Amino acid sequence: MKKWALALIAATMVMSLAACGSNNKDSSAANSGEKATEGTSDNGKGSSAEPVKLRIYAQYSDEDTKGPYDYAVAELKKEMPNVELDLDIQAQDDGQKLKTYAATGNLPDIFQVGLDLINTFKKSNNILQLDSYVEQLGFKDKVLPSAMNTLVTDDGHTYAFQYAGNEVAMLFYNKEIFEKNNVKVPTTYDEMMAAVKTFNANGITPMALFAKEKWPTVALFDMFASRSDAAGITKLDKGEAKASDPAFKQAAEEIVKLVKAGMLPKGATNLNYDQAAALFHEGKAAMFLNGQWEIAASTEALGEKLGFMYVPAPDAATYENAKLTFSGGGGPGGYAVNPSSKNVELAAKVAAFMAEKYAEFKFTQKGTPMVALKVDKPIINKFPPVMEQLAADIPSMKTTSFSWGLSNPKFKAAIEDASQSLMTGTYSADDFISDISSAIPSK
Amino acid sequence: MKLRMKHPLTNVLIWLYALLSIYPLFWMISYSLKNNNEIFVTNPFGFPLHPRFENYKTAWTSFNVPQYFMNSVIVSVVTVVFSLSMAVLFAYAVARMRWRFSGAARTYMTIGMFVPVQVIMIPLAILMRDFHLANSYLTLIVPYIAFNLSFATLVFYGFFRGVPVDLEEAACIDGASIYRTFFSVMLPIIRPSIATMIIFVFLAAWNEFPIAMMLISKESLKTLPLGLLFFQGQFTTDWGAMGAAMTIASLPTLLLYILFSEQVENALTVGSAVKG
Amino acid sequence: MRKYLGNKTAILLFILPALLLYTVVVFYPVVQVFYRSFFDWDGLSEASFIYFDNYIRLFHDHIFYTSLYNSAVFAVIIAIVQITIGTMLAFAVAEVAMRGRKFVRITVFIPVVLSITVVCQLWLAMYNGEYGLINKLFEMLGLHYRQDWLSNKNTAIFALAAVNAWQYMGYHFALLLAGVKSIPESYMEAARIDGASKMKAHLSITMPLLGETYKFCLILAFTGGLNAFANMYIMTSGGPGTTTYTLTYMMFRSAFRVGEFGYGSASAAFLVIECLVVTLIINKLIARDPIVY
Repeated sequence: MKKWALALIAATMVMSLAACGSNNKDSSAANSGEKATEGTSDNGKGSSAEPVKLRIYAQYSDEDTKGPYDYAVAELKKEMPNVELDLDIQAQDDGQKLKTYAATGNLPDIFQVGLDLINTFKKSNNILQLDSYVEQLGFKDKVLPSAMNTLVTDDGHTYAFQYAGNEVAMLFYNKEIFEKNNVKVPTTYDEMMAAVKTFNANGITPMALFAKEKWPTVALFDMFASRSDAAGITKLDKGEAKASDPAFKQAAEEIVKLVKAGMLPKGATNLNYDQAAALFHEGKAAMFLNGQWEIAASTEALGEKLGFMYVPAPDAATYENAKLTFSGGGGPGGYAVNPSSKNVELAAKVAAFMAEKYAEFKFTQKGTPMVALKVDKPIINKFPPVMEQLAADIPSMKTTSFSWGLSNPKFKAAIEDASQSLMTGTYSADDFISDISSAIPSK
Repeated sequence: MKLRMKHPLTNVLIWLYALLSIYPLFWMISYSLKNNNEIFVTNPFGFPLHPRFENYKTAWTSFNVPQYFMNSVIVSVVTVVFSLSMAVLFAYAVARMRWRFSGAARTYMTIGMFVPVQVIMIPLAILMRDFHLANSYLTLIVPYIAFNLSFATLVFYGFFRGVPVDLEEAACIDGASIYRTFFSVMLPIIRPSIATMIIFVFLAAWNEFPIAMMLISKESLKTLPLGLLFFQGQFTTDWGAMGAAMTIASLPTLLLYILFSEQVENALTVGSAVKG
Repeated sequence: MRKYLGNKTAILLFILPALLLYTVVVFYPVVQVFYRSFFDWDGLSEASFIYFDNYIRLFHDHIFYTSLYNSAVFAVIIAIVQITIGTMLAFAVAEVAMRGRKFVRITVFIPVVLSITVVCQLWLAMYNGEYGLINKLFEMLGLHYRQDWLSNKNTAIFALAAVNAWQYMGYHFALLLAGVKSIPESYMEAARIDGASKMKAHLSITMPLLGETYKFCLILAFTGGLNAFANMYIMTSGGPGTTTYTLTYMMFRSAFRVGEFGYGSASAAFLVIECLVVTLIINKLIARDPIVY
């Protein structure tokens, strides 16, 4: 006992010495960084040879997020060789870490935000208003007309350089399964119900949904609600409609009916993406709800068999009418800048540059036409056929919002919980209405 | 005391329970050698048919494993040493010594056991900044020590209460100072609980995630649990590589536990010999 | 002796380091939480004082009652399961004659050593409605008892509590084992001479002697249960819907997902008081035993 206690103490002492040593080094490095910074901000352009280090908080955890980041950083090195980015990886934590940074005055120079964080941060002055930079950098001219909605928030100002365009949620389906079972691709709720019944009778899961995550359940609800009211859940978000209005009530009722009839796999509210996607990719489920970013993976798994359908509606006329209303859509968000950064101007420039390169990468290499900015580089990886089809709809497409794009955090939390409950079949449309009503601001 | 276990059935049940407890270890290692589809759909429970060692390569190259590992060791060891020394002193004063507020002091200390760390994250972060501890090992070590105090104090309290009072009386009559009594009479007696608490506190510090995630932004200070962030995306997660990272992080603690558990057992035997 | 153990300097020296650090790092932020619970505050901007509004809202929020119920279920289940199994295993392993006691002693603690993420992922797979082992087990027994354990609002909280109870049983086992081992052999010998059976001897001698340890185990299990968060966070995100919310999860949602820090603080403050009351009750029920054996 004594021996290892001694060993522990000895080890501790060595380590604490080591710790002190490295601390000193760190702080001296930070000091020299500050000096360098002062040098650059003097000439404003940031093109001087003086190296500058900027802290950036960004997603970097899978191919979808590592690809564009690495590409943008490589491009940045060519364009502004003196700028070095110090990456702090974003956690999937509902913005908890950024808020803690903000509370302690430790925000990085550049960070990725969504609309909810923009709203919180602008009240507390933790996010730079970028209007003058938008002007100076000619950023507005780069934004695609179809994505203008992503540039400014409700107050008419820009707080983040956007790169993602109006991404949408889609209902994918397996053409082969529909043909083999003689099921018509549904256009109305009745046809949808018939499809659900036939598939269940033949031992096929009608629709795969990864309802452990809450946003796909909100998307499903929104798809149905936006048939009768094109603004979908955004209307509730802004308090311009009541949850008991017919469009929403009917959507909830229809979903409950379909869920009770067995539309979703067993334990859907506990399926994650990998489990739900496997059902669809392996031909065990006929339909699958996900964002358009699913196209690549599903094309790989199903090839020609993959199709997407417009959302069924109460009747044929409504279906035709609402066809091009897609659930989802983009909103203001993207790369934002810390107003108290020591290099505000440079940080804003780099943030805009990063956004541009992200859009470029997604368009040319990830086969995504849904970006916010114009890209004039040639496409390296061709769009899959389903994407071509969807791309044709983009100019005349109307969108609502994903749950993460909602502006009222209280409503967002409430509708996420309530929509997920809808997927259990033991929760009534009335429960749904009363639960979200209390979170809707009255106007 | 040398009675044989009369119920073979009890023995079988205990053995079954032990096997059930070891299964997650096997499962974690299998998991770290599979891809997402195998983990969730085709083979969730068995050993991988085609072990994917590339998961370990992914895990190892995604972040600086040796550095994170070293940081975890430093933070955990310092936490263990300081929180246990402070707790054992406090517990002795509360459990054995006579003063007016000893009961109140113990209840006060208990509160730390039921404060969810998420609740005080922001005040804590501000505190660390104001003490100029941000971006040093201390920004983790100080909260870890403080948060383990409650638990450790209460455990030690229980053990001190069980020690017969004649030991202190004898020491007092021998003319030993209270400090001497504490260090050379009392401490040796509660050694089993110290050994147990070393494991508990070490594990708590080693696996701690929320505070580390919130308070550490410097790459050079990150601890192992933060490595998991490299695999969790907004829409997809590389579960296999995450499993590999978790295996890399847990195996050392497991070995440490097996080693220390031996120490606990030995200390236990010695401890009861002193008393009996 | 009274004077000897009442040495003021020694007491101060012994308690000060822990007391100071604890007060500054743990208690002061708790005070802040109580203070903030009277404000309308998003955590960053200017806060406005709103008296008891957060508490009034809390008592009208049905999620609050769901959370209370869930925390109580969670606490009771883990307390009963962990302490019962922990006691039985500790008594068995303390038995020198038991075969493979070393193996058992090491393995039952393994779930504690593994990180909670690993254990939760394992149980997610076990509970899965389609191919989970639990349902297969029922099938093998010939029972048609398929359940979506975690998606059913009636079973979800029990399923979560079972995972926690199972994972952290090792803590109680280790504490009780250390306790049993430090009871002098002479006590058990005395009981044997009286002709008491092993079980009886444990019931009448060992368990009362372990009073303090049991008290601690109870406090640990109850406060841990009332505070439950990680299992929900990883396994159900509080779902389906809000059915597996606990007070901590509710606080997390209010403060970070909704940005109502003041309201979150109110639920946290309530939680702290609730735990304190439970602890005081446990302390009252199991009275402080005398030091002398």
